[in-house]
Amino acid sequence: MSKVTIEPNLYESAKKAAELAGYSSVDEFVAHCLESEIRRLKVESAESQVADQLRGLGYLN
Amino acid sequence: MSDSKGMDVTSNNDIIVVSGLPRSGTSLMMQMLQNGGVEVVTDQVRTADPDNPLGYLEYEAVKEIGKDASWLPQTRGKAFKMISLLIYHLPPTERYRILFMERDPEEVLRSQEAMLRRLKRSAAPHAEMLESYRIHLEHLDAWLKTRSDMTVLRVEYKNLVEQPGVQSKRISDFLGLSLDVDRMSSAVDPALYRNRNQSMT
Repeated sequence: MSKVTIEPNLYESAKKAAELAGYSSVDEFVAHCLESEIRRLKVESAESQVADQLRGLGYLN
Repeated sequence: MSDSKGMDVTSNNDIIVVSGLPRSGTSLMMQMLQNGGVEVVTDQVRTADPDNPLGYLEYEAVKEIGKDASWLPQTRGKAFKMISLLIYHLPPTERYRILFMERDPEEVLRSQEAMLRRLKRSAAPHAEMLESYRIHLEHLDAWLKTRSDMTVLRVEYKNLVEQPGVQSKRISDFLGLSLDVDRMSSAVDPALYRNRNQSMT
């Protein structure tokens, strides 16, 4: 397992949010946040490439 | 906007959206709908060319829907073509019946690459582009399930070419319209699509 360092204030906020959302631990909550963000960035990047291709083909302005 | 005059076959105000990736058979679907009696919304700005000998049947305003969707209510009960990436911009103020064309992504991409070569434009690396399309379609599929204003019928291009009668009936049923299924089927020219596939290999 790798470790990530975050500011104490951010950790406290994450701890509260994790409890409120019903996560079993801060680790689980942080991992879920990272997975969601990575997925979002992946989609954003892929759809940006799709947009470039469609522009080249004349289907987008 | 000019609408091709169709027969009186529209029984509801849902907007018919023909969508999919470019080169997945969306123009063919538009021709079929037009033959079947649906009013198709097109401005004939993009005319027929070697990549689409029967014409694109597009409406330019669709490309700007992210900035201006004021024309949308005028398309109730009619059909227009919209590439998959623009579906996200359809506002929830209308009801949509989406005919989503599906075709082997390899075939789609090879056809797009051939088109880009003819246009003398560069193409992204093949494998990268395939992956981007996969991610896009997966994301769009999940997104469509969250939209209660959108009903989707997925139509396989291969099935459309091989069984135009069966698929025409399926489409007519999905739209809830009494379309002329025989005339719809006649829009499919298997020879044209066979030649296209051969020229792509």
